[in-house]
Amino acid sequence: MNEHLLEVADLKITLPAGGATITPVDGVSLSLGRGEALGIAGESGSGKTLTLKSIIGLLPPGAFVEGDLRFALGDQAPIPYAATDVHGRGISIIFQEPMTALNPTMRVGDLIAEGPRIHEGLGKGAARERAVELMRRVGIPAPERRARMWPHQLSGGLRQRVMIATALSTRPKLLLCDEPTTALDVSIQDQILGLLQEIRTTLGMSIIFVSHDLAVLGELCERLAIMYAGQVVETGPTEAVFSSPNHPYTEALMTSVPSFDATSDKLAGIEGHPPDPRSFPPGCRFAPRCRYAQDDCAEAQFRLVPTSAERSTGCIHTEVFAGRER
Amino acid sequence: MSAFLEVRDLTVTFRVGSALKARLQGEPPPDLTAVDGISFTAERGDSIGIVGESGCGKSTLAKAITGLVPVASGSLHLDGEPLLAKRARATMRRVQMVFQDPSSSLNPSLTIEKMLSELLRVHRIVPVDKVADRCGELMELVELPRNLLKVRPGRLSGGQRQRVGIARALALEPDVLIADEAVAALDVSVQAPVLNLLNSLRENLGLTLMFISHDLAVVRYVSDRVIVMYLGKAVEDRSTSELFDDPRHPYTRALMAAAPKFGVKKAPGESALKGEPPSALKLPSGCRFSPRCPIAAEVCQQREPDLTGPSPIQRAACHFAWEARGVPS
Repeated sequence: MNEHLLEVADLKITLPAGGATITPVDGVSLSLGRGEALGIAGESGSGKTLTLKSIIGLLPPGAFVEGDLRFALGDQAPIPYAATDVHGRGISIIFQEPMTALNPTMRVGDLIAEGPRIHEGLGKGAARERAVELMRRVGIPAPERRARMWPHQLSGGLRQRVMIATALSTRPKLLLCDEPTTALDVSIQDQILGLLQEIRTTLGMSIIFVSHDLAVLGELCERLAIMYAGQVVETGPTEAVFSSPNHPYTEALMTSVPSFDATSDKLAGIEGHPPDPRSFPPGCRFAPRCRYAQDDCAEAQFRLVPTSAERSTGCIHTEVFAGRER
Repeated sequence: MSAFLEVRDLTVTFRVGSALKARLQGEPPPDLTAVDGISFTAERGDSIGIVGESGCGKSTLAKAITGLVPVASGSLHLDGEPLLAKRARATMRRVQMVFQDPSSSLNPSLTIEKMLSELLRVHRIVPVDKVADRCGELMELVELPRNLLKVRPGRLSGGQRQRVGIARALALEPDVLIADEAVAALDVSVQAPVLNLLNSLRENLGLTLMFISHDLAVVRYVSDRVIVMYLGKAVEDRSTSELFDDPRHPYTRALMAAAPKFGVKKAPGESALKGEPPSALKLPSGCRFSPRCPIAAEVCQQREPDLTGPSPIQRAACHFAWEARGVPS
């Protein structure tokens, strides 16, 4: 069995924007092993959600995708695919806002049963049974009763569980998660992360989890990809990235939120704000906000360079901030 | 001498559903108690954090103190002067609020200068010929370039808009500044500068800051003292350092355990707090946290614990908060 499940090479997404075009995702390459959880971190506008949506073919109309996307439907090596090959057959997605992502005119049980009915041709009764079983699986109390409810009758945490059940209904190999816990309270977020971790280990599913919150990604993912302004600027195993970031942006992201465990005197933060995709700065796109920036940062061609077998960085001056006290 | 800001037994209720129907059915009016008897005092220059999950009443508490929702019972005093829901302009000025979402809380059709100068004029903060100067000073205060006075909010980034929201609150020279989830809508990298700004403003202007958030880490960063709320009640009121070193209420402990931490892997199926908060319309008997509480005993279902402790900022509402481990010195 080939170990790779998904390969994305040099992904470029172009969108029309008021007469001009913008490239919010510009040369992203990722790979994902079977059973692996990859976290994509980045702020709004970094292109992380578009990258995720391109994998399952949910880009807005008018989007133009270049690059190579490969997915392994069977045990063989990943092959190029069309979105319709994986819908209901290999890749599912869950979204940030469980209220707007669930069809308000369908009962919860029917929502969950829809996938198996369409893709597996399950009859009404069997699909309903599958729905109830899935609802129990994701920890929804009283699933028989709740299956007859409408999405608006459920709390945010339960809705997110319904969405997860919907995603699992077609037995995917890859679950894409687009900030599924951002709209939830900490205690519910904690429950959902525990559930995802549990589902993943028991079903052997792969996960790509997109979030702006590095700590959340760290709880679930073995590997991280940090995105900034449409590019992946650093990849590596989670622990390694946390203990010694190889890109100034990663470091800045970690130090700009108050840490729960440590009392820091003053937060570093990052000067300025993320660049507008209509006018990305030349060279390294983070250079204008980077406190280690050198003169040649604005000139060098951006490239993600491996620094070890498992890690790579887009920073050309790692020597400036590596080995310095933190 | 009384405290600078004194909140006593503050209760806010909202009518939900039909009062007529309830009366016809011989039931009590369907009132939801969003804030249920909160009492605390604060001195000038204090920085108080209020944390809790959505629906715990933290924003309603903020709005009640600002005068944006009517108070059902209890009292509010600032400097010995009562703060009523209907306030004279001079009193209104003294408590100001910064809202969560800077894009929807700024009038999109006004330039920043219009927005600020209107406030300065209506409240007669400065003589008319000084209004323009004062607008510029306010922009400097929140570390924004003066030339942004001429633009409308649409042209600004999220962080800049939140700074305008702060400038607007500061225009009235308040004594108390309430920030309701002021950074929750901002990108991670621009949160820190806004938090740092709030901290420095408090120091430089001697503001009393109330910072409301669901994020314990953020509250820890800006507040000297934290009030934890659960279903309309304050369950713990402690100095920040004590609270984080030694939380006394099981809910506080669960909230802390639930917060994601760097480099800690989640165990499959693990969660700090089971279930969800019950509806505020159907509160459990006794302690309202007892159905989810890992240390609940019989007494917890029978009697609601008071918020008590050795000092006004060492209080917890749990029957077992100060037991066994003794009272902190």
